[in-house]
Amino acid sequence: MRGLIFFFFFSSIQLSLFSQNKPLLYNVDGLPQTLMSNPGAEISFRGHFGIPFLSQVHLSAGSTGVTAFDIFDDSNPNVNLRVRNAIRKLTHRDYFSVNEQLEILSIGWRLNRQNYLSAGVYQETDVFAYFPKDLAILANEGNTNYINQPFDFSQAAFTAEVLTVYHLGLNYKFNSKLTVGARAKLYSGIFNVESTNNQGTFTTTLNEGGNGFYRQTASEIDIVVNTSGFASLRDEEDNTVDQAAADLLKRSMLGGNLGVGLDLGATYKVNEQFIVTGAVQDIGIMFQRTDVENYRYYGSYETEGIEPLFPEQENTEAIPYWDIFEDEVDANLQDETLEDPYVTWRPVKFNTTMEFGFGRAFLPCNYRLVKEARYMNAAGLLLSGVNRPKGIALSMTAYYDKLITEKFGFRAAYTIDDYSFTNVGLMAHRTFGSFNIYLAANNLLGFPNFAKANSTSLQFGMQFIFKDN
Amino acid sequence: MKKNAALFHIITLCCGVFLTGCVKDVDFGQANDIVLSPDIQSNLVLYTVGEADFVDPVTKDIHTVIRDTVRLEFLDDDYIQNDLNSVEFYFRNINTFPQAFVSRVHFLSASGRKQFSINYPISPGSSDNPVSTERIEVMGADRIEQVKNSITMVVELEVQTNEEAFTGDLEFASKGLFKFEF
Repeated sequence: MRGLIFFFFFSSIQLSLFSQNKPLLYNVDGLPQTLMSNPGAEISFRGHFGIPFLSQVHLSAGSTGVTAFDIFDDSNPNVNLRVRNAIRKLTHRDYFSVNEQLEILSIGWRLNRQNYLSAGVYQETDVFAYFPKDLAILANEGNTNYINQPFDFSQAAFTAEVLTVYHLGLNYKFNSKLTVGARAKLYSGIFNVESTNNQGTFTTTLNEGGNGFYRQTASEIDIVVNTSGFASLRDEEDNTVDQAAADLLKRSMLGGNLGVGLDLGATYKVNEQFIVTGAVQDIGIMFQRTDVENYRYYGSYETEGIEPLFPEQENTEAIPYWDIFEDEVDANLQDETLEDPYVTWRPVKFNTTMEFGFGRAFLPCNYRLVKEARYMNAAGLLLSGVNRPKGIALSMTAYYDKLITEKFGFRAAYTIDDYSFTNVGLMAHRTFGSFNIYLAANNLLGFPNFAKANSTSLQFGMQFIFKDN
Repeated sequence: MKKNAALFHIITLCCGVFLTGCVKDVDFGQANDIVLSPDIQSNLVLYTVGEADFVDPVTKDIHTVIRDTVRLEFLDDDYIQNDLNSVEFYFRNINTFPQAFVSRVHFLSASGRKQFSINYPISPGSSDNPVSTERIEVMGADRIEQVKNSITMVVELEVQTNEEAFTGDLEFASKGLFKFEF
């Protein structure tokens, strides 16, 4: 009862939060993928082997604040008006994200009663960009209606990376109440681009008291875009497709930029029915050292226009005012292309749940097997977060797990995040002998028409899962 | 058992829903119609002249016409040549000379050929009563090529002499409202 009270107290506080993640696969004890989000998860199998490239395919994309329908509504031909309205509606905290993961190899086996070892390789693409509202307005409307208002360059922040991850994890059952786990990761970078700490403003002010109409000021501009993995492909014009593919393959197999990371997780059984979990993924760092190119634009400058030295002297060449002006701008607003190594942090993710099991448990009638009680039903709350350049993107999921048979179960979930308040998801998993398939999709209400959905995500996979009989 | 079968059917139905997910009611072809249309306000040229600027530094003679030339190199840039739709030039003179002036602003091509001129009279003023003269010239779609063909701006002042003492200041400021469609 105390557990239930705590459970509902927790729900009442946390349902006001927002977020994003893979909530349908977290804390599903019958699926090996649960170890990827919580290496300290409770698991109910003794081994697994994923079908290469098919054990997990994960795709997700989202945009807070605007949908494809908002822009491309076919019943209204005035697309430019809708673009303008969308730009005005979005804020600089809105963002766009795309994440893809493809499990290339996944394997795991129980070493003994306490330890489960899992390992594998997956490829990941992660793209994340905040909406640079001020720059979008400047590009789409200009400065005419925004005199005296600064356009803020710090709103431009984006990251994109493609990498391969090699991992090895250990799940350790400390005692009947506590399971802990850790996963070491080796990142092999393929591409990276990031621009996250930009600053500076551009302002057109009315020049009251001055001769010119306006004073245009670029103040403390400092824009940096770091890239790795692009310069060589761009420069090698004679590269054939085969050579480029070989280069990318080499990078994905530890031949490019490297990084290391760690996942940590734990599960604690408060009592037979009530469990809490917590996990942190991708506490990781990438060292971008090879094939690096950085672009920097920085400085401050202020102008009222070109002021000629009236009058022009006869028999003399005209003074190159424009060249002088350009030289002055170039001296004060400089651009550089460098090859400085840089460091990027992987987007750290965290998940924490509390789950309450209820309903009839499956307990085999075999006194030689030590199996823990499992429940037909479970209700849980999951708080997830991903660290992004301007802060943590949070989500809150309430879920219900149902085991229809020991080999067939599903999860229904409702998630509140930055994308929407109407995110209903469903995951189903079925095992035929040892062959398991699962399919999970978030934001089902958006599936009848993706164009009107702010986000969607899909995971599916197939693998062999071996259990004690 | 019946309950399990019902659940199975519900899940199968849901799987069916998300496997048949689609995109509708949108026309992505409209992406081709998207244009960015910024209106950029920018100062162009400004100056202030006094009576000394009309005196020849060598002969000390008074010139009734003075001029200066400014190359506006940006008019040759791609974004001007390809995407500029119209320009609204705005000129303002504030005169404390008791003489009237004629202001002529000529836009010349790279070869020095005149593309267009904006000429207007400047009313006389006094040190106690500076007089402002403003002129707006809209270069719409029908004349925008003249702007695109220009690279040099020549500003010229001609004094309309009279019997009043030739003393005072004449301020000139100009700006352009450049309308683009990218």
